[in-house]
Amino acid sequence: MNESMLCTKTHEYLLEQNGIYEIGITDYAIQQLGDIVFVELPEVGTEFEKNEAFATIESVKAASEIYMPISGKVVEINEQIVNSPELLNDETFEEKWFIKIESSADQVEFADLLDYSDYKEEIE
Amino acid sequence: MTKQTFLHDKHIALGARMVDFAGWDMPVQYSSIIEEHKTVREKVGLFDVSHMGELIIKGEDALPFLNKIVPQDISKLVNLKAIYCQLTNKKGGIIDDLIIYKLEDEKYLVIVNASRIDEDLNWMVRNKIGFNVEIINESHNFSLLAVQGPKACDLIKSLGVEDLPSFFTIKRGTLFNINLWISRTGYTGEDGVEILVRNEFSEYLWDKLLDAGQTFGIKPIGLGARDTLRLEAALHLYGNDLDESTTPVEAGLAWSIPRTKTEDYNGKSVIINQLENGVQKKLIGLKMLDRNIARHGYDVYYNDEKIGTITSGGISPIRGDNIALAYIKNLDNLAVGSTIQVMIREKLHNAEIVKRPFVKKNNKG
Repeated sequence: MNESMLCTKTHEYLLEQNGIYEIGITDYAIQQLGDIVFVELPEVGTEFEKNEAFATIESVKAASEIYMPISGKVVEINEQIVNSPELLNDETFEEKWFIKIESSADQVEFADLLDYSDYKEEIE
Repeated sequence: MTKQTFLHDKHIALGARMVDFAGWDMPVQYSSIIEEHKTVREKVGLFDVSHMGELIIKGEDALPFLNKIVPQDISKLVNLKAIYCQLTNKKGGIIDDLIIYKLEDEKYLVIVNASRIDEDLNWMVRNKIGFNVEIINESHNFSLLAVQGPKACDLIKSLGVEDLPSFFTIKRGTLFNINLWISRTGYTGEDGVEILVRNEFSEYLWDKLLDAGQTFGIKPIGLGARDTLRLEAALHLYGNDLDESTTPVEAGLAWSIPRTKTEDYNGKSVIINQLENGVQKKLIGLKMLDRNIARHGYDVYYNDEKIGTITSGGISPIRGDNIALAYIKNLDNLAVGSTIQVMIREKLHNAEIVKRPFVKKNNKG
């Protein structure tokens, strides 16, 4: 996990790189889910509000929705994890992001996001 | 207050993720459900299923009593043989599904679902009026360990049990100097045994089996894989695929109902009528035609009309596709090979009706 990422209490992360935000779920969430067998991602170009469900992920046991940490428009999706969801459980695989978005979210939308260190405290 | 089996500490020490199941704190997985599943299909797995209930039914009327409460013909059961059956209500609905073992004349062991022990006991007590029979709940005295997989019997034989009981038979045995019962039964579709042992010996037996099983590739298996294994074998799960409003005929269990049984039993008129005239709803097997997963409670459609509900669904680690059990209206034009739809997150996804079990069973020894 990257120290500069922001996290939600529902275990999504947000990582800014050159004005584009990468969104995924935390290692802790993956560990809790167990074997991941299905990932459904939105189409490029779709716009979402903060806290809106943008993806579905299924473990052997159950389906879970994944929510937007901030609002934005999808500019890229990770086809690799759609085609091979089990890669998310592979500790050697690094490209575990779900989507990349453009966002013009204001500071208010960031207010409830946790620093990585705070998130770690939250899950311990 | 969540109950714990006598093996609870063992599960924690093995790093299991624990979940509540029918009021019990049980291991759902130790490593990965898919890996555990494959271990049982390819080698051998050890399960703690001590949450299940054990009832002893004995007395001079034990046989007529059992014949009154289940559709199966218990008079056909010889000593040490077991039979799968259902406890039915007066409408033929299933209160629980059970395995009844005849231990000796006038003494039977009944293995029941953890979630149904109280209902079963209540119903049995209500039905025992006029029968000279004793119903004893032994659930709190016994642990149940399942050893399942193609190597399961090799493992047990290597421990000095020369003549294993045949399929659906139980015998007294000794493992590691512990007296116990060994039954050739299971809930995985694989060959194997279930071992009934007094609680005080269960931890010792668990450790010894894991140790001795190493050369056979044994691993502890959680309830997660137990569920995917039984689904591939199309074995019903009470509460999902069976309930009090569903009869054995509707559930595809007509094979467990003898038509020749003369004794009356609870729900007989409904059940016999269904055997002769057909059912309104029936259990089917489905395979998804895309990568979506059907889950318990999802609606099933045909020609844009809702015709039923998924009762169990998930992945098949062995087939590599997604499978489900569903109850649908008994429509004449729907049969194995037909395509119907499952509503998943507000979209219809095609599924094909397929034969059950989904994976060939290898449990006849």
